[in-house]
Order: sequence, then structure tokens, then C-alpha cells
Amino acid sequence: MSSIPDAIANQDKTYLLEKANRRKRFSLWFYGLCVAIAFVSVIILIVLMISIWSQGSSRLTSDLILNSHSELEIEKSGMWPAIMGSLFVCGTCAAVALPLGVGTAVFLEEFQPTHRVLRLLHGFVQLNISNLAGVPSIVYGLLGLTVFVYMFNIFGQIRVNESAGWEIMGYKNYYQVLTLEPGHVVFVPQTDATVRETSFDEPFQAVDPASGQSFEIAIWTPGTPKPTAPEDRRVTVRAGVRGTTITETSWYYFRLPFDKSFLSGGLTLALVILPVIIIASQESLRGVPSSLREASMGLGATTWQTVRDVSLPAALPGIMTGSILAMGRAIGEAAPILVVMGAAVAKSTGPKHLMDNAVTMPVLIYNWAGRQQDEFKELSAAAIIVLLVILLVMNSTAIYIRQKVQKSQT
Amino acid sequence: MATATSAATAADDPDSAPEKTLIDIQNLNAWYGDFQAIHDLSLEIPRHQVTAFIGPSGCGKSTLLKWINRMNDVVPGAHAKGRLALIEDSGDGETETDILDPNLDVVGLRRKIGIVFQKPNPFPKSIYDNVAFGPRLHMKTTKSELDELVEWSLQKAAVWDEVKDRLNGPALGLSGGQQQRLCIARAIAVGPEVLLMDEPCSALDPSSTLAIEDLIFELRSQYTIVIVTHNMQQASRCSDKTAFFFEGKLVESGDTEKLFTKPDKKQTDDYVRGKFG
Repeated sequence: MSSIPDAIANQDKTYLLEKANRRKRFSLWFYGLCVAIAFVSVIILIVLMISIWSQGSSRLTSDLILNSHSELEIEKSGMWPAIMGSLFVCGTCAAVALPLGVGTAVFLEEFQPTHRVLRLLHGFVQLNISNLAGVPSIVYGLLGLTVFVYMFNIFGQIRVNESAGWEIMGYKNYYQVLTLEPGHVVFVPQTDATVRETSFDEPFQAVDPASGQSFEIAIWTPGTPKPTAPEDRRVTVRAGVRGTTITETSWYYFRLPFDKSFLSGGLTLALVILPVIIIASQESLRGVPSSLREASMGLGATTWQTVRDVSLPAALPGIMTGSILAMGRAIGEAAPILVVMGAAVAKSTGPKHLMDNAVTMPVLIYNWAGRQQDEFKELSAAAIIVLLVILLVMNSTAIYIRQKVQKSQT
Repeated sequence: MATATSAATAADDPDSAPEKTLIDIQNLNAWYGDFQAIHDLSLEIPRHQVTAFIGPSGCGKSTLLKWINRMNDVVPGAHAKGRLALIEDSGDGETETDILDPNLDVVGLRRKIGIVFQKPNPFPKSIYDNVAFGPRLHMKTTKSELDELVEWSLQKAAVWDEVKDRLNGPALGLSGGQQQRLCIARAIAVGPEVLLMDEPCSALDPSSTLAIEDLIFELRSQYTIVIVTHNMQQASRCSDKTAFFFEGKLVESGDTEKLFTKPDKKQTDDYVRGKFG
């Protein structure tokens, strides 16, 4: 019984050799397959790049970067407002999503639930985050529409000339009144914000919004002689002329609901990328050896001190990588932006105040790509190149910073 | 100087007096969930001596060590009953701290009772920042005071000469033995009274082990040291007292020399001779 079993002792040498050869052949073949699969994705990317470059390279001019969209001078259309818009939207998104995401990850990973209720809460949050990561972004768009744009209509609806919602700060309302001089308007300070439209029958005081100087406006009743000199016509209005509200805003103009502002867009995008940031940060925190936490606790550090001085610094490279990937997604996201901020591209500048609307690069590309004129199709390809370059710069900056952080730790 | 004398007298007369006790353990029971890891254990850990915990894996020695500075707090389901007290002699009378008190300031306790782990675990920071980590948490120091404290700690831990030229270099660039001595320096820097060491040499090569053992011998004049080890020679070489654990119970404790040469119990004899475990 102690002799070697037959299966080992009496082996067919030729069969063994043949089998070894077959395995080697298969292994080689499998290696080739893997290389081919890897190349398919690379080739698709290269084809895409070449086709976009050939379409759009002729439009890569300073006009594209510095001008705004124009229906009349298609040749000179540009994407400056869209670049600024994307910057503002993604800035908002990062400012909201990063602290929330990293904070949630720290809560889930670093604070061991001791009480039963806390454990339940932990499990509930974790389950939700895992599910949210797979939700299509258009759904977030609809959520953003309800929550940020309309705010469940709690603060009323924003309607032109009727309601401005709950204005909180950074605004000044005027009535805009047409004078007898064609195309000239004067501004009258408005005291009662609820009256959006009024008529003028008596002489009144108007102000120059820039200088704040006030001047007297006369009333002309039809049937009486009309002033002829332009200087007079500029300070005279027809009796019963209607004034409509116009709002002069500072950059910190703030009102509820947010309506179709870049703030709504940024907050919605923050919802889209929040689960991605949380999961990436969690993975990264989980990768920090628990021996480091023990060392810190053993020296008498509190949980907060351990998180601040040990766990977070050690997890920072991973958190940054995840966040940058998430930001890349945010900057390229079009669907929720279309739902929340609309598809209008006719803006001449970036956002001027917190409640201002904005165009983003993907929305502009979407708009241009769908147009009849060939010029717009080319512009769209050129805008894609700009977007890709911006993404590339973002990612390489992040990788560079990560390398530096990593080097300083090891 | 006074401390050195008291250590010497304690070593001369091991059974001298309970007032030399620093950590007093009476009828301690500890559980992980439903599993009881320590059964009705009573032990006194004397001041300014090295006490070694020996015993086979799973005998509860590491559990006991981790209860002494409440590192078990973070383990879900870990709980303990009994008396586990830190007795401090501040010159005019003794003060006693109930370590198992749930309302105890654990942060303050861990400052008094430092711990060194099995695997060297320096932070991924510079050598200087590693040692300064604890002081920065607890103390308000000027830059020069901190510099002095870092140098003192590294000298105490016998690693100063090797690292003094690269204090701002990464701690992870040191060898395993140097890293472990750095961890000891880090623990010393907060001014503890007790140093707990959980198999501090098991991940190190023989020459690094020797360096750590020499260090332990040096440190015992100022600190009370508790060391968990699997290595009989190590326990016999560098400890004054030894406690032998088996299956969560204390089998025998006493002077290291006696325990290794003429133990009272046969089980201890078998273990220290390597017949089992």
C-alpha cells in the first residue's frame, strides 16, 4: 500500500507531452485573444479621435474659444459662455459633492456603529449608496427639477412679470418704462415687489441705475403737442404707459426656488456623482491598514484625530483619483443638465450671479451637432476636441498631484 | 534615581509589597461576544519591572494586554468584568483608576499606557512627524521643545544615531527593526508610565530582536513594561516576572528565573521546556 499509486506511476509519456503542448498552445491563443480585445477598444477610440479631428480641426480657432454662440455669424460662433458655464456648474458640483461624499465615506468606514439603531442606519445608508450608483443620470435630472428648480413649489413658481419666488438678497427691482424716444427706457425704483406691472399717469422720478442719480420724467397726453427735441423726448413718457419689473442683481443674488440656474445644475450633478465619490472614498479608506488606526488610537488620539491625521492623509491619493474620475463624468454629463437648465445656448457670457442660467459644453455640443448647417457640425467636432483637452488636462493634473502626495508619504 | 532604587529593591525582593503594584487585576473575565477569552484572572503587574506574558496562541494573553489600555473598545462585542485598576504613586499617596469604567477618559488612559504592536506600524509620514504625533495630540509645545522631545525619545529608543541625519525622511524607508524602535520612540514621546508590547519582535530578524531586547532592558528603569511573547528565550532573557496563560486562565506567575527553572506546576514546566504549545 505504501507504493506509489498507479495514476502517478504508470503515466503515458506521449500523452503527457501532447497535453502539455496543447495547454501551451491554448495559453498562447488566449494571450492573443486578450491582446486583440484590448486593441478593439483602443482602435475604436483612435477612429473616434481621427474622425473628430478631421471634422473639427479647421474650426479650432481663437474665435471658437473666445466668442459666444451666434445664429447670424455661424462662422464666428464660439463656446466661451459654455466653457465658463461648465466651470461654474462643475465648481458647484465639486464644492458640494466632495465634502458630502468624503464625509459620508468617513462616517461609514471610520465610525464603528456601537448601538443597534446606529448599525441599522449604517446598513441603510450603505444599501442606498450602492443602489444610487446605478441610477441613470436622467432620473437625477428629474429629481433635480423637482427639488432644486421648483423646490416642490413651496416658494411659489417663478414666472416672467408675475413672480420672482422668494428673493432673499442681492437684488434691486425697478420698473422699466419706455420714453417717447424710440428704444430708450428709464428706470423707476420699485417699492412693492409684489406689484410686477404698473401704469404711470403723473410725472415721476426715475433713476440712472449706474450712477444712482434721479431725474424728473414728464407726462405727455395724446392730443397735446408732442415734444420734438430728443433730449425732451428722452425724459417724457406717454400717459398711462405701463412699466414692467426689471431686476438688477449683484453676484450674490439669491432666491428660492433656484429655477433654471447653474446652481440647480451643479447641485443635480453633485447628486449624480455623489455615490461614485462615496464608493471610491470608502474603498480608499478601507485600504488604509488598520494597524495605522490602532497606532494612532494607542497613542491616545480620538477618532476624529485619527481620521484627520492618519486615515484621510493615507487615503487621499485614492480619494483624489475617484473624485477626479467623478468630476470627469460631471463635466461630460448632458442629460440631467438638459432637464434642469434647459437646452438654450444663446448666452453671451458665463453666469453673472448665483441664480443665472448657464450653457455647458456638452449641451452646446448636443445643440450644434443636431443642426442643419455644416458649419455647426464642424464647430461641434471642434468643441468636442476642446472638451477632451480640458478633461485630459484635469486628469493629468490629478495624477501629477497624486504622485506627489504618494511620494511624500513613502 | 529614586526610581532606579525602587526597581532594584523590587527585583531583589519580588514578593516585597503590594504597594509596588502598578496594575492590579482581580477576578477579571473577558468576552468576545459569547466567547469567553479570559477566565477569572488575577495578577499584579509590578512597577518598573518587565512582565512577560507567555502561553500558546489563543490563550488570552493578547486580549489581556489590549484590555489594559482599552484597545478592545473598537472590537465589536468585546466586554469584560472584574477589577482592572491602574495604581499611580504621585509621591503623596496613591491614586487608583478603574480601567474598565465605561466613563473613563480613554484618551488620557492611553497617554499613560502606551502600546507597541506586533508589526512595526509607523505612519506614512516623516520620522520626525511620527515621533511628534503623540505630543502634538496632547501637549502644547514650542518648536524647540518638540525638537528636544523628539531627540530624547529617539535616543531612549536607541535609534537616534541611525536616523538623526534623516529626520525629515520617510519612516517607511527604515528597516523593520528601526521601524519598531521608532514605534517605541513614538510611544515613549507622550510620557507613558506603562509600555505594553504585543510580540514586538515576532516580525523582526535576530539582530533587530536583540536590539529591541536590549532596549527593553534599558527602558525598565523608567517604565513598567508588559511584553507578550511566543519566544521562551526572549521571556527568560529580558523579563523580571513571567505569567503563563493557558486557555484563558492564568496557570502560574512569578519570578522569571523561578518559573523557567523550578515552576510549581507541571503544565508550566512542559510549556517552558517546549513539550507542547
